[in-house]
Amino acid sequence: MSLASEVAESSQHSGGAAARGSREPVNVLIVGVGGQGVIMVSKVLASLCQAHGLQVKQSEVHGMAKRGGSVFSHVRFGKQVWSPTIPKGDVDILLALEWAEGLRWLPQLRAETGIFICDTKRIVPPFACLNRRQGAPMRYSRETPAEVIAHVAEAYAVDATRMADELGNERAANTVLVGALSTAMEFPLADWERVLAEFVPRKTVGVNLEAFRLGRSWIEEARRTAPDTSDPQGQGLAAAVVPSTVRVEIEAQWCKSCDICVKLCPERCLRLNSERIAELTDPAKCTGCRLCEWLCPDFAIRVHLQPAAAVA
Amino acid sequence: MSIATVAVEPAASNLRLLSGNHACALGAIAAGCRFFAGYPITPSSEIAERLSRELPRVDGVFIQMEDEIASIAAVIGASMGGAKAMTATSGPGFSLKQENLGYAALAEIPCVIVNVMRGGPSTGMPTRPAQGDIMQARWGSHGDFPVIVLAPGSVREIYEETIRAFALAETYRTPVTVLYDQSIAQLLETVELKQPGAPVERKWASGPPEKYQPYAPLDNGVPAMARPGDGYRSHTTGLTHAENGFPTQTPEVVERNIGRLLGKLERHRAAIESFQTLRCEDADVVVVAVGISARAAGSAVAACRAKGIRAGMFRPITLWPFPEEALRRAASGARAVLVPEMNAGQMRLEVERVLGRDVRIEGLHKISGDPIDPAAITARIEALCI
Amino acid sequence: MNDPIVLEGNAAVEEFDVRKYIRLQMMPHFLCPGCGHGIALRALLWAVHELGIDKDRLAVVSGIGCAGRLSAYIDANTFHVTHGRPLAFASGLALVRPDLHVVVITGDGDCLAIGGNHFIHTCRRNLKLTCLMLNNEVYGMTGGQVSPTTSETRITTTTQLGNAEPHFDACALAAAAGAGFVGREVTHHVPKLKDVMRAALEHPGFAFVEVMSDCTEIFGRKNDMGSSPEMILRQKSEIRPSAYRDTVETPFRPNTLPTGVLMCNERPEYGAAYRQYAQTVKSAGDGKQKRG
Repeated sequence: MSLASEVAESSQHSGGAAARGSREPVNVLIVGVGGQGVIMVSKVLASLCQAHGLQVKQSEVHGMAKRGGSVFSHVRFGKQVWSPTIPKGDVDILLALEWAEGLRWLPQLRAETGIFICDTKRIVPPFACLNRRQGAPMRYSRETPAEVIAHVAEAYAVDATRMADELGNERAANTVLVGALSTAMEFPLADWERVLAEFVPRKTVGVNLEAFRLGRSWIEEARRTAPDTSDPQGQGLAAAVVPSTVRVEIEAQWCKSCDICVKLCPERCLRLNSERIAELTDPAKCTGCRLCEWLCPDFAIRVHLQPAAAVA
Repeated sequence: MSIATVAVEPAASNLRLLSGNHACALGAIAAGCRFFAGYPITPSSEIAERLSRELPRVDGVFIQMEDEIASIAAVIGASMGGAKAMTATSGPGFSLKQENLGYAALAEIPCVIVNVMRGGPSTGMPTRPAQGDIMQARWGSHGDFPVIVLAPGSVREIYEETIRAFALAETYRTPVTVLYDQSIAQLLETVELKQPGAPVERKWASGPPEKYQPYAPLDNGVPAMARPGDGYRSHTTGLTHAENGFPTQTPEVVERNIGRLLGKLERHRAAIESFQTLRCEDADVVVVAVGISARAAGSAVAACRAKGIRAGMFRPITLWPFPEEALRRAASGARAVLVPEMNAGQMRLEVERVLGRDVRIEGLHKISGDPIDPAAITARIEALCI
Repeated sequence: MNDPIVLEGNAAVEEFDVRKYIRLQMMPHFLCPGCGHGIALRALLWAVHELGIDKDRLAVVSGIGCAGRLSAYIDANTFHVTHGRPLAFASGLALVRPDLHVVVITGDGDCLAIGGNHFIHTCRRNLKLTCLMLNNEVYGMTGGQVSPTTSETRITTTTQLGNAEPHFDACALAAAAGAGFVGREVTHHVPKLKDVMRAALEHPGFAFVEVMSDCTEIFGRKNDMGSSPEMILRQKSEIRPSAYRDTVETPFRPNTLPTGVLMCNERPEYGAAYRQYAQTVKSAGDGKQKRG
């Protein structure tokens, strides 16, 4: 009965409950990396809308993504929603739990009015480390939050992971972002918190509610002041690039031609020479991963890694 | 009712009524033994029991291992670590220990093995005495190896010979077996326990580690041993090894090193040998016996002498290496030699080897589990004199 | 008696160079080409390096067989003892020298067949020792006979039609017998193998580590298991790291071997317990020592 009354009450809001701009239906795209809680966030939102008597369609792709892969979820709600997925360029709010995933989906955002809320957390996928040489540059986005924000109508780069970590549970980062998201809609605060408490694990309700409020207050503060364009991680990423040189020393007298180094080298840059002694064929390909050194049963291989500066 | 009262002098504090096994345990402590590993076996278990009480008091370690093999292995391990170490057993256990006894001989690790002989073969007669391990004590492990075997004949001698066993083991870096039988092991006698001097210590490696050769002999033919932690980081192996401690099969290196090993005790025979002669100078019949049989033989000699028969006794205390020269001297004037022993004729073989065919040699063998009666020996001596 | 060891770690954390821990004059070693034992040896020495263990304080006791030969290559106090008995030798050594790190290197036959009794009792006693069992499923040194860990159906020189005996799970055996620490790893995961060995060396009680090693020449060849790299990869694919056990209770691939630290408990260490007992005997017995 209270539900019915609530629905009746909230239905008054429904017209304006959407993002500012009040276009129907409201399109929210939630993206991130498998394991971050994209689906949980979208379920919270969908459930909240449903409780307010709105029609909701949520469609997600996560099966092939697994843990660590790209995950996205479309949430559309309003009086009447026909299609389950959001047409390109029609996203009203893009909520990203990971920085590069946010950038990946940015073209989906409505150019003039879209809101972009993004965690600055970087999760570097394995395929961004194709060059396994130590200190080699990673193929990960180099844009700083400031550069990105400049191109979006309304953007917030939130260091949600750090905020959640400071609350004691890094995994509540997605709830910090839900808090940020909540400011873009007009559902009552109490409803947000009630639904949230239903979806998070019972033991973490406290920390999640704190995280939610923190995200909410952070974005309200950000709206009042100039957008935060500091880049806590961008610097670090650039600094990680320390080129090094690799020298592979092979003690021919000890090599027994067992072929282990040749077959198990990830770069395939070793071979047995005409005397069946291991030798490095392509020093440029060697990344200095040391697998050959570790796996040589005869202690014949030694990999020397030297910072480029030291060599010069 | 009247009981004869004897005026007793207050006993000297080092006079004790002790069994052979307890004397052995106390001898080990007096010799500086600080590690004992054993496995229960009749009739030697009292040694382990006594040492389990004594060793903790002198900062030593007692451990009862899972089997006979493990106990001698642990003893050798402890000795490698620098401790004077001992184990004790009886026939079936002695058989099991042969493998590692050979290891200790080849790797030259000092250790003491007590073998309290009981009736054999196999499980035999656990509570009856025998002297059937005389040859096993010499040849029990495979291959040629040096060995010292001491055969005490009384409780006092068990105490003293156990102390000497440690001294010999340490001096010559070799396993030393203390061999006696069930009857002396569990016999109680009043003994005076003489405190020996400072325990004899093996030669430890000294000098620069890079020059150290674990098996290069010192002047006395015995190499200095490296104690773990002293910086020598040497290798010890049961494989035939060169002077540097590492395995080798090079014929001349093997010849040199095994030759040195086998000659090691021969060089020091005079210091190792010990024996007792009793009225052998003019003896027509010399009785050669060890352990409990020698005690019977001693009585028999006395009985014969009382009857005017010139009998004498030769008793090896160091059983191996066998005191050959001493026996030849003792038996030089004898018409016959009698070897009473509680086996089917093991020491007789050695006596025959030493004395050759020039003298009549007979055995008096008893395998029943009963000690040999002095009267039986007397009778045989008399028969040999006819 | 010397004071027990205290691990201080390698403060300098200088880069590991295996050549500082082996006897260079013994190189190249005598193992066959591609034998996994060399990889296991490197991992052990790496762990020793990381913990900052002084080579003079390291004692390695090994038995007979291919694994037993490894001690000769380590620049430490090394003892190559009789077949199956290294744990018993090491027990004596560790009891009188608690100031030494005593590491036992043994093989599957050495440890589980001829040394089986010593093995279970050493586990039970929980004396501070680190035991490394290099399991290559075969008696390599003697020419490839079936061992207690040879998998069923495998062909060896004494099971010409395939092994019909079930094999031992050494880790389960060690855990059941009461070992303080049990771990297993394959040679392909060298850093993980090093970490397991490091944890074993740090453990206060008896620590057992089984290394799945490859015997290409004697065992792999007979069983069409390919060359050394193929055998190493095959072993890697047949394992299930212990971390997965927490998420998947029932094994989804029942034939896989769990790896990692499989068990670690706080049972009292025997050496310390004995020293405490001896202290009690000493202080209680001073006044009333029995006359013999």
